Amino acid sequence: MKSAFNRSVLALAAIVAVAGASQASAQQTGLKKYESGTKEFWTHPPDDWFLGDETEAQKGLAPPSGPPTGASEAELAALVKKIKLPAGFKIEVYAPGVLAARQMAWGDKGTLFVGSFGLGNVYAITDNGGKKEVKTILKGLNMPTGLAFRDGALYVIAVDKLIKYDNAEANLDKLGDGKVVYDDMPSYAAHGWKYLAADKDGWFYVPFGPPFNIGIPPTSVSQIRRVDPKTGNAETWALGVRNSVGGDVDPRSGKYWFTENARDWMSDDIPSDKLNMISKIGEHFGYPYCHQGDLPDPKFAMGHKCSEFTPPVLNLGAHVAPLGMKFYTGDQFPADYKNSILIAEHGSWNRHKYQGARIVRVTVGPDGKNPKEEVFASGWLEGDQGYLGRPADIILAKDGSILVADDWAGAIYRISYSK
Amino acid sequence: MRVRFSLKLLCAVALVAVASAPAISADTTATKEKAEMCTACHGEGGISQTENIPSLAAQPDQFIQWQLVFFRGGARKNEQMQPIAEQVTNEDIRLFGAYFAALTPPKPSTDDNPDLSKKGAEAAAGRRCASCHTDTYAGTKAVARLAGQREEYLVKALHDYKSGVRSGGAGSAMTDVAYPLSDEEITALAHYLAHL
Repeated sequence: MKSAFNRSVLALAAIVAVAGASQASAQQTGLKKYESGTKEFWTHPPDDWFLGDETEAQKGLAPPSGPPTGASEAELAALVKKIKLPAGFKIEVYAPGVLAARQMAWGDKGTLFVGSFGLGNVYAITDNGGKKEVKTILKGLNMPTGLAFRDGALYVIAVDKLIKYDNAEANLDKLGDGKVVYDDMPSYAAHGWKYLAADKDGWFYVPFGPPFNIGIPPTSVSQIRRVDPKTGNAETWALGVRNSVGGDVDPRSGKYWFTENARDWMSDDIPSDKLNMISKIGEHFGYPYCHQGDLPDPKFAMGHKCSEFTPPVLNLGAHVAPLGMKFYTGDQFPADYKNSILIAEHGSWNRHKYQGARIVRVTVGPDGKNPKEEVFASGWLEGDQGYLGRPADIILAKDGSILVADDWAGAIYRISYSK
Repeated sequence: MRVRFSLKLLCAVALVAVASAPAISADTTATKEKAEMCTACHGEGGISQTENIPSLAAQPDQFIQWQLVFFRGGARKNEQMQPIAEQVTNEDIRLFGAYFAALTPPKPSTDDNPDLSKKGAEAAAGRRCASCHTDTYAGTKAVARLAGQREEYLVKALHDYKSGVRSGGAGSAMTDVAYPLSDEEITALAHYLAHL
């Protein structure tokens, strides 16, 4: 297993670790406050920008720092035993040592590409006689959390650059610098990390988060664009979106559904994170005026009513942090899973008792009406404010099983079903 | 010249040694042996006797781990450390973190310039260094111990952050803090922290 670990590198947010430490010493008197509505803040955010709206009730909460080298194989072996699944399902470790693993994409020849946070690695996982080999194929990119694979090319989105690496699977050892195919994007780091979901025309849905917790966003962000990687043309597809790092095209309707992380520092229980569907171009999902479909922002509602905006398909709960999601289109799981949405919830930091860190299943028609939610996989939480792992993305495998990326334990899991 | 040469030689020896060392178990003797390769440059007991090379003794476990991960990934650049870190496994990194964190911290030398220390203490308070590095500057979690670190190394590190040569990884914490520091402040901060 040594080779799997070798050269795999981490990235996770040191920023997060630093913030955790500053909380530990509890030096600050009063509450942290930043004036985030300025270009200076967007371009040079303080390291703890996400603490800028601290309240008395939520004071002291900060993102926890994960283990720099992920979980060891022994820890992972113990961890998967604690994961609860519906009857007939099984979870196993697909690959360890995939530090800070985020979005996954399959190459045509069976290479699993994995993006990461922080340091900026992209990994390629290949099968070497039944043994998974994890190779760091790109290093030093700017938070390359999102990637996709189309027509032999690997696409990586690193904040303000969509980079194309042609004929990627044949060149895992020498991908080169790639070619920037779209860069009309701001470089703001805060909520600048992205996700890619291709539609049938090969255009990518790309989310743009605001460079702060709450405020009037720069006009270039707080939206979802639809980007053609062939021409670099793009459309503004939806507005009023906070931090979205996951979405998928509905196989039934072709419409784009996406998860959205709601603002922090209101309370443990509001506002709720969301699952949304874009019915038509130009819809506005409420941020920063209205949260969870029915909660005007105390400061930034500015006279707007929630009825002006597109409500969520489903409120997923406060601080569950939904990230990657996929419609289940495989044949392995029981028949009623067909077209269910599986959502990787990364879990809380701005909540006294963490929740999320699980996979939920949402069953809903293509019209978005009458959604039903149930927990599919859980057990990554430990105590009130601890994690064994944090699910960040989901992808279907050819055989109908699913793979789950965990950026805390630095691992990919496989969940399969047999009667 | 002599110091430079022998340093390079030692580090080259260490590099070869790390690369060729067998995979280690949790066995403490093996850990110690492997960690001793680091001490060729970083000093006996993790206390550096060499200019511009930091002491590692009593650095927080996670800080050591992160820095190795950063060197390995190329986010932190150093021509001596990068080739070494590229050979290091996740398991090794965990062991090194635990090993150096458990060592006795460096003892500060007598302060030959208390006035400068006073200026440094004022700068540290003004820049709120302790809010991350803790009141004793012993560091915690992913945040470095500064107390008793080599003075000229602290100057180097602050200059590296200020100029953006070093970013500390994903976050911009130290680059943001160091960017507005004047050379005078850096000199004073380094003197103060080195004598804690």
